[in-house]
Parts: sequence; C-alpha cells; structure tokens
Amino acid sequence: MSADPRPTDSDTTIIAQTSTRVVVPIILLVAIALLLQGHNLPGGGFIAGVLTVTGFALIYIIYGLRYVEQGLLHRTVVPRSLPAGDDESQAGPPISKEFGEIFTTGLALAAGSGLVAMAFDLPFLSQGVLFVEGLPLYGHVEFASALAFDLGVYLVVVGGLLTILAVVGAE
Amino acid sequence: MSEHVVVAPLVVALVTAILTLGVRRYPRTQRTISLLGIGAYAVAVITLASRVVPLGVLTGGGGTTETLTYQLSNWPAPFGISLVADALSVFMLVLAVLVVVPALVFSVLYIEEFGQRISYHALFHFMLAGVSGSFLTGDIFNLFVWFEVMLMPSYVLVVFYGRAKHTRAALQYTVLNLLGSAVMLVAIGGIYATMGTLNMADLARRLAHAGEYGINPAPVLGLGAILFAVFALKAGIVPFQFWVPAAYRAAPAPIAAVMAGVTKKVGIYAIIRLLFTVFGAATLESELGFGMAGTSFLGLFGPVLFLMAIGSIFLGGLGAVSRNDLDNVLAYSSIGQVGFIVLALALAATGEGTVRTVGLIAALIYSLNHAIAKSLLFLVSGTVYEAVGSIRFDALGGLSTKRPVIAGSFFLGGIALVGIPPLTGFFGKLLVFDTAGKAIVAGEPFAEVALAVALAGAILTIAYFSRAWNRAFWGTPSEPVTRSYQPTTMVVLVGAFALLVVVLGIGFDPVYRAADAAAHAATEWETYVEAVGPEVIE
Repeated sequence: MSADPRPTDSDTTIIAQTSTRVVVPIILLVAIALLLQGHNLPGGGFIAGVLTVTGFALIYIIYGLRYVEQGLLHRTVVPRSLPAGDDESQAGPPISKEFGEIFTTGLALAAGSGLVAMAFDLPFLSQGVLFVEGLPLYGHVEFASALAFDLGVYLVVVGGLLTILAVVGAE
Repeated sequence: MSEHVVVAPLVVALVTAILTLGVRRYPRTQRTISLLGIGAYAVAVITLASRVVPLGVLTGGGGTTETLTYQLSNWPAPFGISLVADALSVFMLVLAVLVVVPALVFSVLYIEEFGQRISYHALFHFMLAGVSGSFLTGDIFNLFVWFEVMLMPSYVLVVFYGRAKHTRAALQYTVLNLLGSAVMLVAIGGIYATMGTLNMADLARRLAHAGEYGINPAPVLGLGAILFAVFALKAGIVPFQFWVPAAYRAAPAPIAAVMAGVTKKVGIYAIIRLLFTVFGAATLESELGFGMAGTSFLGLFGPVLFLMAIGSIFLGGLGAVSRNDLDNVLAYSSIGQVGFIVLALALAATGEGTVRTVGLIAALIYSLNHAIAKSLLFLVSGTVYEAVGSIRFDALGGLSTKRPVIAGSFFLGGIALVGIPPLTGFFGKLLVFDTAGKAIVAGEPFAEVALAVALAGAILTIAYFSRAWNRAFWGTPSEPVTRSYQPTTMVVLVGAFALLVVVLGIGFDPVYRAADAAAHAATEWETYVEAVGPEVIE
C-alpha cells in the first residue's frame, strides 16, 4: 500500500481483494445453477440476476469502477454526468449503454419466447418441455422452453441493476 | 380455441416498446416504429372491439355482444392468468385509442429530439401496455401487476424535464403511488386468504353463493374498501386528489393528456369492475350498523362514492376558478370532472334496475367525453406553449385574433366539458341529470342532493372555462402573443382532434349503444362468470 493518504480506487485491504477473487466465481456459479433449475425448483431468472449483480457489485466496491470498466470491459473511462450521453460526440458513449443493451436483449428474449407459442397457435406465453433420454454421460436431460423466458428475465435484471449501479456509482 | 385477438393490443404495445428501446441510436427509425406501433395498436383494438361488440349492435341493427376470454400460457381459469374482453373492457380500450394516437403524434412534434431518443417512445408504449393489460385482465393480482407496468413509465415521464419542480412533483407522485400499491398488495393478499381465489369471475361467483362455499364475506367488504381507496387514488378523487395538479403541470403536455384522459380512467374502470361485476351480487350476512342501510356491498359503497363525488366536484371546480395558468385550470378541472363520473356511479350503486344501468351509461359516456375533451385541451395548452412560450394568463390574451385555430380548438374542448349540444359533453351531462331524475322518482336517498350538486358543478365548469377563455383568448393581443409563431403541423393535429369531438357528438347513437352494452356487461356478472368459466374447486 502506498503512503498516499488520498483515497484511490484500490483503497481496500488485501484480505478483501483476495476473498473477492475467491467468492465471485462461486457467486456466479450459484447464480447459473439457480437460473437453470428455476422452472421447477427454487430459483429462476430474477434471483439469478440479482445474485450475479451482487458479484459485480462486490468487484465494483473492492476494485473500484475503473477496474471493471477498463480491466474487465476494456473501455476508456469517461466522466459521466446525468443525463448520460448529452455530449456523446466528444466524450464517447457511457458504459451504461452496454448494460442497456443487455436489458433490451433480455426483454426481447422474454417477449419473443412468449410469441413463439402464438406461432404454434397456442396462447401467448405457453411453454413446452422436451425430455431427451439416453444421452451419454448425462442420461436424462430436459429442455424446457421456460428457460428461454427465464434467461430473458435474467438479462433484464442484470442489465437494469448494473445500469443503476454504474450510474449511481459514478456520482 | 385460442383467440389471439384478445391479447393482440397488449402484445403490440409490448413489442413496439421493446423495438423502440432497441433502435434508440437511430432516432428516425425509432420514431417510425413508434408511429407504426401506435397504428398497429389502434388496428388491434378496433379488430377486438368489432369482435366483441359487432357493428350491428352499434347501428341498432341487431346482433349480440360477446365476451371473449384468453388463458395466457394455456392454464385454465381460475389457476392461470385470464384475459377477458367484454363490452366494458373494449369500450375503455377504444377510449384509450382515441386519446393515445393523437397524443403520440403530438409528442413526435412537441418533445425535443434528445428527449425522444433517450426513452420517451419506449416509456410511452410500456405505459400503453400497462393500460391495455389493466383493461383486459380478469384477475385482481394481475390488475395490480398491470397497474405497476402502467405507473413505472409514468413516474419517469412526470419527471421528464428533470428540473427542481418536476422532480418535486414526481417524488410526491411516486411516493403516493408506491404507498397505494403496497396497500393494494396487502388487500389482495387478504382477499386471497379469505376467498381462496383472485380470479374476478371466481370471486364474483363465490361472493354470490358465500354460504355454499363456506365463506364469510364480511372481511372482503373491508379489503374491498381498501382496494377501492387505491383505485380512487389512481383516479384522483377527493380525498386522494392532492397529487393531481403538480403531476399534470410537471408532465409534458401529451403525457398530461394521456394521464388525464386514460390513466385516470383506469382507476374508474377498476372501480366499476370491482364494485359492479365482482361485488355485484355480494351481500353481508347481517346489517353493518352505523346508520348504513341494507346488506348489499354495492349499496354500502354508494354513500361513500357520493361523498367523494361531492368533494371532487366542489374542490375541483373552486380550485379551477382561481388558478392562473392553463395547465393548472385543466388539472383542477380534471378533479371536478371525475367527480361527475363518480356521482353517476354513486347513483348507480345505490339504485336498482334502470337507475343502475343509466347511471353506469352516464359514467361511461362522461368518461369518454372527459378523456377526449381534456386531452384535447392539454394538447392545446402544449401548442400554446410552443407558439407563445408561456401558458400563464398574464402573458396570454388575444390569442383568438392571432391564432384562431388554436383558440377554436380550445373553445370546442371547453364547451364539450361544459356540455353544450351537439357535443358529447352535452349527452354526458344530460345522462347524469337523467340518472339523478330517475333516482328521485325511484325515491332514492340523496338523489335531490345529487341533482343540486350536479347543477352547481355545471355552473362552476362554465365559470372557470369562461374565465380561462376571457383571460387567455379574448382581449387585445399581449406582447408575447404578437411575437408568437404558428407551429403549423401541431395546429392541424389539434384542429383535427377538435373535429373528432364534434363528430362523436353528432354521431352520438353508436356511442350510446356501445356504452349501453358496456353498462350491461359490467352489471351482468353471471354472463362474465360463464364466459370465463373458472373450474369449481372445493
């Protein structure tokens, strides 16, 4: 640690940084497990999304905004002000645009998964399930169309919460 | 079996919202999609309307109205999410179309480029999805969900300009509505705990035969009263009116038009659906006491509605007389005008037979008239702001000589609300008076008072509109008015919208028949239950 008294982005202890490195992958794994089992066991897109964002929030807090945006997403950090993107031409697009796109994709996926049912002349949002037996290694696998909807919800939650985190965090 | 036409308005609004969100980097494409989307929405609603209320019913040539149902994701009622399109839902949906189409076209001209690109179109269509969902759902919990879908975009749209006063108004609006939503959720939970179902058709059936199902309806009356209070908050009825003026002033003109025209009517619709369909046949086992006569739920809600109506008419009317800018007058007038709707509902709730039907018809026609006329006036106010740069009375004056079309549109909207023949407002007022008259003949309590209140309210309406007209449109043109310019496209749009008010008034017969069908759909709960056909669970 440097002797510089000013608070910097990496102002946290080694202990916190190390435990974050260990904990975040576990959080993400649990989130994915919750997402995949959500349609017939406790879990689902919403809670998986929230959990994923918790992981990101941890990185934000421990390593700082700059680390996520430069180190993980390879973007140049730009000063942001609200409303975001007012002076887009000079400053480059703000990062929350990517999160906004995740959000939009999720909405489209969730609504689209409902629309597919209408193509089969079933009511909007009808779901189906396909059981595949006798696969090597896995044996019995089920493909539920509800997973597509859950994935949509997951993306909406992740995109929405990360936008809030990035915008509020930047202030 | 699957009637996709029922879900079509909802899906169209939802898909349009997502598309406009996806293409926000290309403003021109976004605007095109948004306008095409609203067109598709209108087509979807009109197709649905023509299925539910065939043209023959409107022209008096015979034919019967239908009630279409749709089970989302194919789960049977009462377990799944039911959508129900009966004459009442369809009437409200058409009312929404009449307001949102001009409002969106106006927005494209009125809201600055940057604001449109950021979020405006997506929010507008999400709000529309919420409105359509509220009108179509056949389930109280989903009514809550659609309320939220409708409210969340409206929070952002109220704070759209983002200055201090807008933020203050939006904060008040948001906190109140969140509070309302929380209370609503608690009441819904309570109803589920006592009734074992949230499907409206199932609720109506269980309440009508409470003994057979072994249910005590008494708690439902209280929980229903909580729900009713929340709906009244959304509709801005006294004593829940205080958020109205600030929110309408803060919101951009086309959004104020949609909020006054459509969002408020969602509250009215929910009140009608809850009291007349769900509680239509519900009675208490014994009298309540406190001087409340009778045991039917509707009869008990009657006096409450009545008091709220009187409060709204006077508070709105007296408030509007003393305001000094256009939007403020319109916002207070909104409170007063909703009072008239509630007055008709109060008479319908206490009355029986014809009085009930006529009261509901009056409330529906009045809602339609208020929706169109008030949104027209908000759009006029937006046009005045665009042309002159102010809507304060001391800056205006003499608009009628400089900008005759704008002034003419305001005049038409104003006299539609005052109720001068041949505009729809005349029929609305006439029917309210007619209901009061019929109620007096039937010997209902308070009916004379209702007549007197309606008369006083009508006089107040004349007073504040003539005052607004004198201050803003007559007299010698003021300095800002002489410097004003003519926003041609907006003026044409507002003028065309004003003509619609006249056309609906002249061709009033189909409107009356549609309202008649809707009133019957609201009160005939057996037909509703039969159409939804919830399975009987023991």
